[in-house]
Amino acid sequence: MKTINITKALEKKVVDATVKILQSGGLIIFPTETIYGAGVDATNQGAVDKLLTYKTRREGKPLSIAVPDQKTAIKYVEINEQAQKLYQRFLPGPVTVISKGLGKVACGVESEFGTLGIRIPDHALVLKILKAFDKPMTATSANASGKRRPYKIQDIFDNLSNKQKNLIDLVLDAGELPKNDPSTIIDTTLSTPTTIRMGKIKTTGGKTLISKSESETKKIAGMMMLKHWDEIKEKGLVVGLDGPLGVGKTIFTKGIGKFLKISDTITSPTYSYIEEYDYQRHGISGKLYHIDLWKIENEEELKRLKIEKLIVPKNVVVIEWWNQGKKYLEKITGLKILIQETNSHTRKLFINYE
Amino acid sequence: MSNSLILAIDTSCDDTSTAVTAGTKVLSNVIASQTQLHAPYGGVFPTVAKQAHKENINQTIKVALKRAKVSWEQISAIAVTQGPGLAPALEVGIAKAKELATQHKLPLIAINHIEAHALSPLANSTTQHQFPVLAIVVSGGHTEFIKITQIGEYKRLGFSIDDAAGEALDKVGRMLDLGYPAGPVIEQFAKKGDSKKYSIPLPMTDREDFNMSFSGLKTWARNKLEQLETQNPIDKQGIYDFTASFQYGVFRHICYKLNKLLKKHKIHEVWLGGGVATNITLRRMIRETLKSYNIKLLTPYSKRLCMDNAAMIGIVAGFKFQRKQFVKNIEDLERLPRWKVGS
Repeated sequence: MKTINITKALEKKVVDATVKILQSGGLIIFPTETIYGAGVDATNQGAVDKLLTYKTRREGKPLSIAVPDQKTAIKYVEINEQAQKLYQRFLPGPVTVISKGLGKVACGVESEFGTLGIRIPDHALVLKILKAFDKPMTATSANASGKRRPYKIQDIFDNLSNKQKNLIDLVLDAGELPKNDPSTIIDTTLSTPTTIRMGKIKTTGGKTLISKSESETKKIAGMMMLKHWDEIKEKGLVVGLDGPLGVGKTIFTKGIGKFLKISDTITSPTYSYIEEYDYQRHGISGKLYHIDLWKIENEEELKRLKIEKLIVPKNVVVIEWWNQGKKYLEKITGLKILIQETNSHTRKLFINYE
Repeated sequence: MSNSLILAIDTSCDDTSTAVTAGTKVLSNVIASQTQLHAPYGGVFPTVAKQAHKENINQTIKVALKRAKVSWEQISAIAVTQGPGLAPALEVGIAKAKELATQHKLPLIAINHIEAHALSPLANSTTQHQFPVLAIVVSGGHTEFIKITQIGEYKRLGFSIDDAAGEALDKVGRMLDLGYPAGPVIEQFAKKGDSKKYSIPLPMTDREDFNMSFSGLKTWARNKLEQLETQNPIDKQGIYDFTASFQYGVFRHICYKLNKLLKKHKIHEVWLGGGVATNITLRRMIRETLKSYNIKLLTPYSKRLCMDNAAMIGIVAGFKFQRKQFVKNIEDLERLPRWKVGS
């Protein structure tokens, strides 16, 4: 193992020496703007295996890679709109952005879900090394799994066995780093929307109602239930709700609950996916199901909710973020309502707009 | 405190967990979650969890016994979460608990998940406690004030009437493109921001009760963001300031209601549990609120005790074991997805 004090050595010499070691499959310890990292060539299987041995207990945890810029990143991951914004705002800097991987790195680098974290360290020397190396380098913290955050070389060495120490080929010692937190990790591979895509929804053909307050929205919901009361009794009713985060979909559902004389407080179903309430109205008793598809990613997850089974006489099934699951729920018909905000109190409700 | 060993199971939402406890002592606390698979990424792959629980449950039981270094002969009772939670997920844990209780001829104890969060600060605690205690449970699914007159006697004094506090943080983080759940990202970014940059409304001040509401804050955030975006794309510091301000707004609302509650109710200790209890800013703001009342704050000893876990289920079961509150007819035990504590 070789150690270079980078505060004293010539930058070009450091870059050349480091690149040479990375190219030959070596393991380096390098400084960043957060903590010391352990790096190997992320495309070299032997080097990655060596790193995994060094890190010990990984239990299938993926590694991230460091690249010099977004131009290099797109060779290894698919950057979506959300990721694009994060790159613009935060990189280079202490943020790791997870995207869908392209399978261009060695085994054990991408997660088992095929995702890959990208890091562009805000550290001039490391960026120069990455540019000269022209390949991605793993960017995991230099401590063995479960050990303390490494802000100086001694922190790392105090917790390493001799066997682990022997795996290190080069240490770039920058002295003690400022105590910044490790990078913040943001996953951009989940499709939870912030708003529905208006381009794909026609808001014509149906009826439009205006509500000027939360209590009016609740009243409209109740009136619509009254209108469909026979249908509820005979077949059960599905109500699909759409509209951006915070527009008042749960307020509308509270109105349905009030109509059904449910005294329990109707709260957001996001966390539990589905909430169940018993109701009794004029001698009729049934259930209100309040479902949220916001976190639903695919058909398999949706199937587990068994929505079809809930649609029986006397039940009301309210489905928030209906459009998120629409393509899997084609057989289900019901009332579709899109809520839009016109100003802070006023809402436009498009009824059966398709 | 009795030293009877309890094997506890929790499958209330996304995580499958099994623990072995003795009284309030945690011998093992195994959590198999998508979160752990993704630990370095700090994110959850949202999933409707029933299948995952089925795949994980036997393994967590095996590992929990092994880590606690105990065998089946030493276990005195089985405990399981009966609710609240996601119905299909709860079913998996309950079915397994019934099977184990019958197979090993052990009593079965049914536990409320929120009661468990409320008592989670007692884990590995050896000090004496002075009642009445106020438990604050703040998580992605719940935000509640629960008065504890003594262990087993609860009164829910306030709760969120719409979104949970953690959910509001997660969703506003999502609006800022910070992924989901974004609560932990918001906590990190907020450290670098100015929490007074935007003045965020304080909800529910016109009401005498101790209930909370976070959906209005969520709406405020969306409107504010749209307004800011029309001027200039928000830069890095803009995001830091926004997350700091929003997080402050959410926690200030909790502390405002807490202060109101403490003026009316004589409380000796405050216990904080739930996933958001790990947030250092929340802890600090609650401590500041408690200062003038000279009340101490007790928090769980580790992050694992804050998230959904079975050790906290085992701790409640330890108290129920002493009172011999067992499930009378094991076969008849059914899930209670909306089971509330003390209301």
